[in-house]
Amino acid sequence: MKQALTVVMGLLLAAATAMAAAPPDRWLHVSVVSADGKGETVHINLPMSLAEKVLPAIHNNDLREGKVRIHGHCDEVDLRAIFDAVRAAPDNEYVTVKNRDEDVRVAKSAGNLLIKVREKHGKTENVEIKVPMPVVEALLSGGADELDVVAGLRALSAQGDIELVSVSDESETVHIWTDTRSSSER
Amino acid sequence: MHPMIKPFTIVMLALASMVGTAGIVTYEAGAVRISVHEKKPGGDHVRLIVPAVLVPLGLHFVPAKQLHKNAAEIRQWLPALKAASQELEHCPDATFVEVKGPDENVGIRKSGDSLVIDVDDPGETVHVSFPLRMVTAAVRQLEAGNPPA
Repeated sequence: MKQALTVVMGLLLAAATAMAAAPPDRWLHVSVVSADGKGETVHINLPMSLAEKVLPAIHNNDLREGKVRIHGHCDEVDLRAIFDAVRAAPDNEYVTVKNRDEDVRVAKSAGNLLIKVREKHGKTENVEIKVPMPVVEALLSGGADELDVVAGLRALSAQGDIELVSVSDESETVHIWTDTRSSSER
Repeated sequence: MHPMIKPFTIVMLALASMVGTAGIVTYEAGAVRISVHEKKPGGDHVRLIVPAVLVPLGLHFVPAKQLHKNAAEIRQWLPALKAASQELEHCPDATFVEVKGPDENVGIRKSGDSLVIDVDDPGETVHVSFPLRMVTAAVRQLEAGNPPA
């Protein structure tokens, strides 16, 4: 009897530990806020687990098995070799383009790939993209001409809260980020 | 006791238990609720509440010709639809899509076991809610009706 009770208590303790250790659901948020007088807002909140389950089930055009086929001359550029070189290199700004119309910067900083674009021609637009290196690695884990989106999402789920994309111009601001909240409140 | 009373009682009990079971099944399966309210003067206000258990059954009565008409197009989305409904069943209640604008408000959220869609535009207000389990059952039904070629 005492042995059975010990086993039951052990199982309960193991279950409680597993539940306590289970990571909280992560959510992907997209927020678009119009800057014009109409004040239109769009908020999208998606559980990342949902995207991970649904994407592999879609077989349409260039999206198959959770992988997106890239068109172009992918066989001429070894993206993985470039990524490996950047990953092994120290933090630095690797690409800087400055001209009359726009500034473009591509850098590696604190384990993230950073892309910043500032358009100056006509309306001013700022685009900032931050992708953790493990996510880039996961995205490139498929074939040479495809991005493994599901692997990228799984890698993203393992990261902490992160602001992935920020776009702002005179007409609207767009934010894409991940956290553990199910709402768009930040 | 009259000799006819015992069989009558048994039949009535059987009927009552069948009706009770059907009621429990219907209650457990939930309902599809559709409400359309036209805002123009004298506009229609349509309210429809259908037991969700009837929807997959209703698919049995859709002519096979109609189901097979766009079979390839339907079939390619069925696995995604099934995966989404199954995964959403495990999700906590949340608002998935919220659009607020001067002309239109749209909301898609999960509430309990149901997915709720609300659209409010200058012309009409539309409210649709349905149990997520119904989607899974309906997809199974459609899969059976659209076997891979």
